[in-house]
Amino acid sequence: MSTNSRTRTSSQTATPPTGIQASRRARKDRMVWLYVVPVTAVFLFVFVGPLIYTAWTALHETSYYQIGKFSGLNSFTKLFSDSDLPARIWTTLVFSLGALVIALPAGLLSALVLNNLHRFKRSVRSLFLLPWLMSQATAGTIWLWFLNPNYGPASAITKSLGFGPTDVFSSPNSALVAVTLMTAWWSYPQAMLLFLGALQTIPGELYESLKVDGGGIRHAFVNITLPHLRNTIVSVVVVLLMLYVQMVTIILVTTRGGPIGSTETLSMRVYNQMFDKFDLSGASATAILLFAVNIVLTLVAIRFRRKESL
Amino acid sequence: MIKKRWGLALVTAVVASLALSGCSPSTPESGGPVTLNYWDFLDPSQANPRSKALKENIANFEAANPDIKINLSVVSLGDMLNRLPQSAAAGQAPDVFKMFTPLVPQMAGAGVYSPLPDAASKVTDWLRPTDTLAGPDGKQVAVPYEYRTCALYYNQKILSQIGAATPTTYEEVVDVARKAAAAGFTGFGTGFSDTDNSAIISTFFNCFMTQVDQEIWTGDGQADFATKKGEEFGNFLSALRGAKALGSNVVSDTYGTVADGMASGTVAMAVLGTERAVSFASQNPDLKWTSLPKASTGDTTGTTIGWTLGIGSGSKHTEAAWKFIEYMTGPEAGAKMATGGEVPTRAATYKQPFFSTPEAKTVNDIAAYVKSNSKPRTYSNNWTSLATGLSQAGQKLTLNGTSGSEFIRSAQDAANKK
Repeated sequence: MSTNSRTRTSSQTATPPTGIQASRRARKDRMVWLYVVPVTAVFLFVFVGPLIYTAWTALHETSYYQIGKFSGLNSFTKLFSDSDLPARIWTTLVFSLGALVIALPAGLLSALVLNNLHRFKRSVRSLFLLPWLMSQATAGTIWLWFLNPNYGPASAITKSLGFGPTDVFSSPNSALVAVTLMTAWWSYPQAMLLFLGALQTIPGELYESLKVDGGGIRHAFVNITLPHLRNTIVSVVVVLLMLYVQMVTIILVTTRGGPIGSTETLSMRVYNQMFDKFDLSGASATAILLFAVNIVLTLVAIRFRRKESL
Repeated sequence: MIKKRWGLALVTAVVASLALSGCSPSTPESGGPVTLNYWDFLDPSQANPRSKALKENIANFEAANPDIKINLSVVSLGDMLNRLPQSAAAGQAPDVFKMFTPLVPQMAGAGVYSPLPDAASKVTDWLRPTDTLAGPDGKQVAVPYEYRTCALYYNQKILSQIGAATPTTYEEVVDVARKAAAAGFTGFGTGFSDTDNSAIISTFFNCFMTQVDQEIWTGDGQADFATKKGEEFGNFLSALRGAKALGSNVVSDTYGTVADGMASGTVAMAVLGTERAVSFASQNPDLKWTSLPKASTGDTTGTTIGWTLGIGSGSKHTEAAWKFIEYMTGPEAGAKMATGGEVPTRAATYKQPFFSTPEAKTVNDIAAYVKSNSKPRTYSNNWTSLATGLSQAGQKLTLNGTSGSEFIRSAQDAANKK
């Protein structure tokens, strides 16, 4: 690689480009803009524009969707002086990390099962993917029906076993546990797919060598599988955490943030501020805070990856 | 190659501009055919009588007005509350939409309505006054489409089983509910879930405040109901909690789950809207309804609520839209919707032959009840915050054991929280 570059560099130094060559290169350079401009335009339109608009909105008074006069950092002052904010951040962390702690091993385990399966592979894969194929709204509605204390199948089962009806959404703790479990159930196939892709890149010879050396399944997992999956695990953690931090629909369908705000994550708070209180400015301020949380998570992940590559 | 790419870019630009022009609002009304975008929460493809009546009314209107087509979008109330202000801000509001009475001033404040045309003032035979259906400038923006108020529903079989008579005061309701709960039923059905816009608790609260003659807002829109009279509502809920008469799932129960509980015979009593009378009669013959129990004032008069129709902000077809609204609230369509159990809003409708038939008895009874036992209320523009505040106050009452006065104070604070 380095030899080739050196050769090319020396040849370029030896023969300066002619006028035709220079004009060709200039034209080639201009063509780069054909690719850069549309991408930049889309990026500005779908990301930078809305971000600036959100920040702009947070700095102004609003009435429904009308932006009024400049109000400085009032929305942020109100946000950080809200006594409920620490509880909302805590709920966001418990919900996101809780769902991650369940979905990550579940995804890895299902990927391992699928990778080692030789019969009915397609059917089992479809079965494992089923939750993710549903929209979040559908998944939430199905669970709402399943856990309904009056007519849900879960209640029928617990009642027949001599326990009371499943009344998970009536208490703050059980409601938070329930939405966390539902979210983990819905999202684990995403982790599974990423892990499955990574598992299929591990050379089979490594496992065979370990077998010859007398290593068992545990040794194979600890010494071959896990080291090969380390980067993927970091990616899955980032992808899932971002998904959970921004999750609204499942919570909206099942609890809408209740009871007593116990399932109101920051994203749910943005939704409630926007569509319940029609407080566009306050919702924008919370959305900026949410964005900051996501940036922190991404930077942490990038830091991990850098360490990996060193 | 470069020429080809520039050509591709040009084609893309042309396609994009054509697509964007396709998204622009419709042109103002001329003499030609008009298509009205109409938002309703009822799905006409459903088999229930209300949906069937709506479908027939739209079809009849289109047949009578060949130049006007109705493009119906089925949008739930929750979605409507989110989408209407957005669509109005984008100039894409529907031409006509249905809205729940307490939310009309809030939606008007969000700029969702167009003023009603002058022709609207010619219709004067509304059963109840319409001046409360107004925007911030005091101008009427909607007309009543269907009336309802609150009633006490009870399961006669359960009451007979526990040897109780139909309660006539809220104290008696607590006593009967206690006995029903001891017999294994839910004594009094209500719900503190806010997943359905806190429909059941806010409707009950709305009626109760009229019963105790308590205004909910001051003149400048500040919620101000945490008074001795207002506390009576909180104290009633607190007494039910003390009697163990609320459902075990009261925190997560909704209007729908309580109604299901009534229909399936697991709930002894509930205060719900009169619109349930027709469906309950067909679902469970043991279910009866009567006027609201007396409050401390001795009054049983609740609040007139229901659905309204209005014209969307920026509609280019206001004349056609009013024509549709006038038809939908008029005698012919009113008689049809009454077959589905809804109570029409105009006196002229009750002269239709249907109302002299035995099938119309329940609707006639409800209409008479609404007229004698309810009065309209003036609302402020923060009903959704108040409703959510009531749910959350109810959740605290159940889970944290707060008192009746704390309940009402918490709901008021939530409504005033900016």
